[in-house]
Amino acid sequence: MGRGDEEEEYDEEEDEEEELEDEEEEDEGKVGRKRGRSQFIDDAAVEDEEEEEDEEEEEFGGDDRRGRRQRRRTGAEFFDLEAAVDSGDEEEEEEGEDDFINDAGADVPDEDEGRRVHRPSIMMQEDQEDVEEMERQVYERYAKSSHVEYGEDATDVEQQALLPSVKDPKLWMVKCAIGHERETAICLMQKSIDRSDLQIRSAIALDHLKNYIYVEAEKEAHVKEACKGLRNIYSSAKVMLVPIKEMTDVLSVESKTVDLSRDTWVRMKIGIYKGDLAKVVDVDNVRQKVIVKLIPRIDLQALANKLEGREVPKKKTFVPPPRFFNIDEAREMHIRVERRRDKDTGEYFEMVDGLMFKDGFLYKTMSIKSISSQNIQPTFDELEKFRKPGDDADGDLASLSTLFANRKKGHFMKGDAVIVVRGDLKNLMGWVEKVEDDTVHVRPKMSGLPKTLAFNEKELCKYFKPGDHVKVVSGVQEGATGMVVKVEGHVLIILSDTTKEDIRVFADHVVESSEITTGLTRIGDYELHDLVLLDNMSFGVIIRVESEAFQVLKGVPDRPEVVLVKLREIKSKIERRTSAKDRSNNLVSVKDVVRVIEGPCKGKQGPVEHIHKGILFIYDRHHLEHAGFICIKAQSCVIVGGSHGNNDRNGLDHFDSRFGGLRSSSQFLQSPRRLPPRGPPIDFGGRHRGGRGHDSLVNKCIKIKSGPLKGYRGRVKEVTGSLVRVELDSQMKIVTVKREDIADTASIATPFRESRYGMGSETPMHPSRTPLHPMQTPMRDPGATPLHDGMRTPMRAWAPMSPARDSWEDGNPATWGVSPQYQPATPPARPYEAPTPGSGWANTPGGYTESGTPRESSYGSAPSPYVPSTPGGQPMTPNSASYLPGTPGGQPMTPGNVGLDIMSPTIGEGEGNWFMPDILVNVQRPGEDSHVGVIRDVLMDGSCKVSLESAANKEIVTALPTELEVVRPKKSDKIKIMNGSLRGVTGKLIGIDGSDGIVKLDDTYEVKILDMVILAKLATQ
Amino acid sequence: MFFHITLERNMQLHPRHFGPHLREKLVAKLMKDVEGTCSGRHGFVVAITNVEDIGKGLIREGTGFVTFPVKYQCVAFRPFKGEILEAVVTMVNKMGFFAEAGPVQIFVSNHLIPDDMEFQSGDMPNYTTSDGSVKIQKDSEVRLKIIGTRVDATEIFCIGTIKDDFLGVINDPGAAS
Repeated sequence: MGRGDEEEEYDEEEDEEEELEDEEEEDEGKVGRKRGRSQFIDDAAVEDEEEEEDEEEEEFGGDDRRGRRQRRRTGAEFFDLEAAVDSGDEEEEEEGEDDFINDAGADVPDEDEGRRVHRPSIMMQEDQEDVEEMERQVYERYAKSSHVEYGEDATDVEQQALLPSVKDPKLWMVKCAIGHERETAICLMQKSIDRSDLQIRSAIALDHLKNYIYVEAEKEAHVKEACKGLRNIYSSAKVMLVPIKEMTDVLSVESKTVDLSRDTWVRMKIGIYKGDLAKVVDVDNVRQKVIVKLIPRIDLQALANKLEGREVPKKKTFVPPPRFFNIDEAREMHIRVERRRDKDTGEYFEMVDGLMFKDGFLYKTMSIKSISSQNIQPTFDELEKFRKPGDDADGDLASLSTLFANRKKGHFMKGDAVIVVRGDLKNLMGWVEKVEDDTVHVRPKMSGLPKTLAFNEKELCKYFKPGDHVKVVSGVQEGATGMVVKVEGHVLIILSDTTKEDIRVFADHVVESSEITTGLTRIGDYELHDLVLLDNMSFGVIIRVESEAFQVLKGVPDRPEVVLVKLREIKSKIERRTSAKDRSNNLVSVKDVVRVIEGPCKGKQGPVEHIHKGILFIYDRHHLEHAGFICIKAQSCVIVGGSHGNNDRNGLDHFDSRFGGLRSSSQFLQSPRRLPPRGPPIDFGGRHRGGRGHDSLVNKCIKIKSGPLKGYRGRVKEVTGSLVRVELDSQMKIVTVKREDIADTASIATPFRESRYGMGSETPMHPSRTPLHPMQTPMRDPGATPLHDGMRTPMRAWAPMSPARDSWEDGNPATWGVSPQYQPATPPARPYEAPTPGSGWANTPGGYTESGTPRESSYGSAPSPYVPSTPGGQPMTPNSASYLPGTPGGQPMTPGNVGLDIMSPTIGEGEGNWFMPDILVNVQRPGEDSHVGVIRDVLMDGSCKVSLESAANKEIVTALPTELEVVRPKKSDKIKIMNGSLRGVTGKLIGIDGSDGIVKLDDTYEVKILDMVILAKLATQ
Repeated sequence: MFFHITLERNMQLHPRHFGPHLREKLVAKLMKDVEGTCSGRHGFVVAITNVEDIGKGLIREGTGFVTFPVKYQCVAFRPFKGEILEAVVTMVNKMGFFAEAGPVQIFVSNHLIPDDMEFQSGDMPNYTTSDGSVKIQKDSEVRLKIIGTRVDATEIFCIGTIKDDFLGVINDPGAAS
């Protein structure tokens, strides 16, 4: 058919339609509409219009026409065959549409030649072609579709062929006014109907895409042309090309398989319940609504206010915590609670203000869009809350289905014990034989069944027996191991290996394993049970490592304080091996076993794991909380057995103890020899009285208070004029600093270590009694004897040594008994006396015992190791050979010395003393009441001049640091900072937060958070 | 369960012990080293009953230590799954109770305590039946069944149950007093 024919035909058709229209006017509306619709049938072929058309045919008569009709009808018949399914209601819709278009068209025809307006076709882009062409096209289209139908298993390649290529028109994205996407698209369609010169092919508005429509055209210019003049499209709007690859995505419908069914767990996406877990109770797929069960977050007070019409200013940020709804509570607040029966389900609900409650849960109707059902992993807590007594079985099943959805691939492995949870074979147990994708072949436990049975993965659940040792491989508790204590359906209760606590896990998350782990044991540099310094200067032991954070038992004695800290909140690991003193002033070092003798943890016993600032962390395996760790003040403990450090010694017979005795005595012997270059022996006794010139500084534990090395601690090796050579504790080197740059930390046990240095090399130096005697002289020096202050320390220092020598022979309790450590009253020399009468120095204490109390006698013996060691290693060549500067404990040269290095950083002891002038202290002297006093001056050896407040004349006494206790400041007290970089600075305590004080500094008005331990109350002048 | 087994061990002895009492020293050291230790295979070595044989010593160069292969008989204690033991309760808390049978520590979780026994906190935490007739507290003697064992380097830890026939308190000195 030529073009001319087409024209003709159109003309004719037009006539026809005009006639029709005339008729329409005459006829009643309905008929007219139907006739109008008959035009449409060509395209859409509605079966039941057929008759009508026949009627029309009759009406119009005319051979010519009839022939055409016939032809048209062939097309129609075709459609009838192919698309006979058009249903009644669709028709109605279409009728409506037709109406609209007809009406719209009705105005236009006159002005606009309106040829095609009378063909209200849905496929408007085809309106330029004649009917036959259209028929052909439609035919083709259907042919194609049928082809697709038959070729169901069309290969990908064939499908690929259908994808848009470069030859096809392109898709352009055009910005339009928001909310007018559909309108714009329709406008465009209309426009292209109206104007033949528009070269756009289609216009698409997507429901889910706001602000944009798509236009299909060959060229951008075509799109622009089409969009010109539309009020919903800004003229400036850019036209963007959709890449060919993405074209299919624009129109492909994302088939979100929203598999919502009853009892699935979902999470709320919006509102105050955002993130809350909910359980689907009912699904209405038609209206896209679900009813979910939630734990209500209702503020009853607010509700009551609302109901009574009171206006209360709303707190915006407040979200009420989830809590079960309690009718009685509500009634108390005069909230009317109605009991109503739901007409659909027949269940009773409590109605409050339009909200439905049942059993405390809130039943809420939500749009499917506002809940998320993907990847829901309810935690145990959440599930637990939802679980009501009595409905555990159902609850389990529900969570089960959710769980299964989240299963990892390769979940089951050969050999796993499994149980069937669904289907006819429910509760059948067996072992996994083979896994193929989703199918698991199981060898059943029951006899008489086939060798293997195939199950869907989802029908199976792992099975464990009580007593199995398992490892958790996923979920919150991932990494933990433990023993199965109880099996509740598919939930296991596991006794964790580390914490000895129950944990509940899904059987699905667990594998059998003999491995014993604590779960995660380290993050970054920090490991479980490390002592760490926290950000805010407090410290603690890591007692649990969680996925992202540590649980730290803080170093606050008396009450266990556990904090959760993030990795970045930890400043550093504290690895210094310090020691502390127990109640009876014995030196406690790491690994020593101590018993707690006071406080809430009284009676606990265990090895010391960490020591810091006089606080011990004890590990008691019987202590269940905090992974067995107990934090306690060293002063609240007593050491049990000998110091472990010394126990390490290797040896098995008595001789060693004798050697030990000799060894220490040998130090006495050396000392006089060392001494001469230092000064007259007469100095010995007085050396540590303090304030005796520069030399008194030697061997002192000091802290560098200014200069580049500020903050370092060390031990004075030598004093030369205004310069002091200091051996740093932390760096194993000797530095020279100015005299005024150091602050004496008044560590009293200082010389102790020196004496030890010698020991390694001295071992062979067996007793030569003679030099010992001269030594006694200075000790008997009247100056020395009364000086308990100087002497005390060595006593302490000395005491642990003695068990060291005796105690390594554990089996001999006799030795223990006599050991001075345990019976300080016993003249300490006794044990040594026996084996080596030759050691001679036994006489020395003997002399002292005469002089007074047993206590003094122990003092008396003490100075011996103490005094001579003072000069340190420097002058002594043989000695310094064995002495590596700075190496704590002198790197034991003989096996006998092995344990000693633990003791060495005695500096730790000094840490308790940061006394400085003007602070308030409690003076507690033996045999006296405690007095409050003000430190006036701190002497070199750490003792302080204290003016007692209570005494009328403000008597000034000299007190030992051990007799002093800093008065803990209270809120809003003036304070002085005793340690840290701010040492000496005064301020005001404006608040206390646990172990930390919030301090406002006087001079800078800065607010600092400092450890309370380093704060002292300032005396009010 | 107790076993009487023969084990072997290489002992290192310090040269200072060489002398007429070498053998005694060696045995003393053996006892000190071995008794009270625990291995996964044999369990706890409770006591050495006899030293069967001391082999020839081998002097280690450099250190002077001498290594003796020693064969000894000892009593070993190894708990097994399913074994019934009598143990003394050492601690009671809300999660269950700990009991000790010699060197073995056994934990009985509250899930494995009969349901009619309730935890009573207080000065002397205990598990008591509703009628108060049976009480598990510190120092009670219980008969329990081991359902799981875990062997560490230095100890064997067990989980037990008393939720079975004929298990539970057998003697309670605490209640009597």
